[in-house]
Amino acid sequence: MSKSIKDMGWDELVQGAALFSFEGEVDYEMSQVQPEDRNYAETNSRNAYVGDWRVEKPVFNKDFCIDCQFCWIYCPDTSIIARDKKMIGVDMDHCKGCGICVEVCPTNPKSLLMFNENTDNEEALEQWPEKSEEKGE
Amino acid sequence: MLEIRWHSRAGQGAVTGAKGLASVVAETGKEVQAFAFYGSAKRGASMTAYNRVDDKPILNHEKYMKPDYVFILDPALAFTDDFTANSKESTKYIITTHLSKAELIAQIPEIQGMEDRVFVLDCFGIALDTIGRAIPNTPMLGAFIKVSGMFEVAEFQESMKSVLGKLSQKIIDANMVAIERAYNEVN
Amino acid sequence: MNSKVMDIKKIEVWDGNMAASQAFRQADVDVVAAYPITPSTPVVENYATFEANGYIDGEFVMVESEHAAMSACVGAAAAGGRVATATSSQGFALMVEVLYQAAGMRLPIVLAQVNRALAAPLNVNGDHSDMYLGRDSGWINVSTFSPQEVYDLTLCAFKIGEHLDVRLPVNINQDGFMSSHTAQNVRTLDDKTACDFIGPYQAVNAMLDFSKPVTHGVQTEEDWHFEHKAKQHDAMMRSRKVIDEVFAEFKALTGREYKAVESYGMEDAEVAIVAFGTTYETAKIVVDNLKKEGIKAGIISPRIFRPFPLEDIAAQLQHVKAIACMDRSAPGGSVGALYNEIAGALFNSPARPVLSNIIYGLGGRDMTVSTLTEIYKDLVKEAASGKLNGTIQRFVGVRGPELTYYNA
Ligand code: SF4
Ligand code: SF4
Repeated sequence: MSKSIKDMGWDELVQGAALFSFEGEVDYEMSQVQPEDRNYAETNSRNAYVGDWRVEKPVFNKDFCIDCQFCWIYCPDTSIIARDKKMIGVDMDHCKGCGICVEVCPTNPKSLLMFNENTDNEEALEQWPEKSEEKGE
Repeated sequence: MLEIRWHSRAGQGAVTGAKGLASVVAETGKEVQAFAFYGSAKRGASMTAYNRVDDKPILNHEKYMKPDYVFILDPALAFTDDFTANSKESTKYIITTHLSKAELIAQIPEIQGMEDRVFVLDCFGIALDTIGRAIPNTPMLGAFIKVSGMFEVAEFQESMKSVLGKLSQKIIDANMVAIERAYNEVN
Repeated sequence: MNSKVMDIKKIEVWDGNMAASQAFRQADVDVVAAYPITPSTPVVENYATFEANGYIDGEFVMVESEHAAMSACVGAAAAGGRVATATSSQGFALMVEVLYQAAGMRLPIVLAQVNRALAAPLNVNGDHSDMYLGRDSGWINVSTFSPQEVYDLTLCAFKIGEHLDVRLPVNINQDGFMSSHTAQNVRTLDDKTACDFIGPYQAVNAMLDFSKPVTHGVQTEEDWHFEHKAKQHDAMMRSRKVIDEVFAEFKALTGREYKAVESYGMEDAEVAIVAFGTTYETAKIVVDNLKKEGIKAGIISPRIFRPFPLEDIAAQLQHVKAIACMDRSAPGGSVGALYNEIAGALFNSPARPVLSNIIYGLGGRDMTVSTLTEIYKDLVKEAASGKLNGTIQRFVGVRGPELTYYNA
């Protein structure tokens, strides 16, 4: 899109308030292209930064992760970054800090935990809890 | 403009009859209209249906009508319906009854002195004999052709065949016989 | 065109419901989603019969309510198909929420609306209260006067609504029972001619076009809502040009002429009534009778209720001395909608006719030749005196004491 939607008058908007996800035609296999390489349209929510919505943030500890992909499935904002079925981290531009990924993470101790937004990740990893004896938590 | 009012019980085929008449008459190149008062009429309730026939397109959508012909499809309605309502000096009545014309008129004060405008036949008897069901509307059409003199009976039968279209030959033939008998028996 | 062609006569005797069903069938609609309600039930029943007999290639979806019917229509239209449905009265009322969605999402759905009174009290007969209920919903609203017009204008509706400069839903109104259940001669087009006239469906921003993934029904808030509504209104206003073009094309094909404003006897009319629906045709008879008596009477009707043909109506009423605006809908605490429309149309023009508002025909109450004649005779008096006989608004045909409101 040459012109930003922010600069458009009524006559330039797409009728019916339809919003296209991508610039141009999708004549390729979408699943074969990584999100960062896709040609998202300006109005795609990928271009909306919501990182500042967080009060707490999820921190990922790969030492305990079993790559079950629960967090990837459940994250309401597709903010879990996975590659080749391996969890590699959190997209902090789109994570809103809801904590669902932490809830669903099945490992003991959890591989994802919520920390204060201002806590340094290294510090968070140092504070990581031990394996809990309580079953079913 | 020719106007017809049908008195019938819901389920006796007055709406089908009125629409059927309209379709058949339209085949002859005329403009037609057929409608009915429905309300909350249940099967068996008294109801009225209407036809208008003209040479030019029919624009009148009022329900009010001063009919040229009144058809009474149910013998009892001749005694209970106000079938002479909104009539003209020239309105003709075709009444289904097993009674003779004289017997019927003797019992209905509203039509006394109208011997030349009242016509009777037994639509139920004819329908049962020919079509095998007590649906009086086809015989009524046969009687109407005779009384109105508007159509040749053969011409009307041809139009009717094209309207009955996809029905079985047996049923079409039975309807043709019903029309012919009604045409001959109405008096 | 559907793969199985129906053999229909050049002149059929159809009621308004059958006329709508046949137009749907000939339009080769992709999806009809409907929930039947009197008096529009036969539109759906006839269509289901066509489907059962193999005449419909598209989908026919039975749903659990009118809200669901219009919702299914919105979904199917957004997916990229030609869509139609039918309803009346309470069913239409239940659809209202989704009607605004359909219009705002710019989906060219065609609705066969068989006008019927809104309860309470419950009544299946015809008046225009449901038509008035939908007038601000963003649908193109067309008024029809007979089964022939239902057929013709339903065919036109697909072509108008789907035009790339329009893309708006179209509501084809007909009077419950007076048109929907009244069988009359209908001059037909064969399936191919009808389908060719409408032309193939052109999908716009279709959800099933995977090469351009798209979101419909977005949230805009204050940022863009106004702009989208402005765009929608502009499309509605510009649809008038397309409507005129489609009517011209239809006339070239059939010889039957439709105009945004229909009028009869208006060339020299000094008294006129404005009315929708079947009343228009009945009034033509009265106009002819009165002209023979030397009374210069006319009848005028906005064929297109939305977009409202304000300028055309004003132009045709310039020389008229007394006008009765006849609303077949309970006005709910004001003058009727037609009165407001006509008054508004005339206000910036030189004409200053005596303008009255008649509320009539509610719940299917008959509008007869004789009552229309009386209304015209009253107008003649008003034209002569240059002022209203009484108040601005009066009820005609209601039992009980005279009902009049608003002094001039
Ligand atoms: S905190 Fe919520 S938004 Fe952030 S990654 Fe976890 S599930 Fe997704
Ligand atoms: S839910 Fe936990 S264990 Fe499973 S992939 Fe996510 S972080 Fe790893």
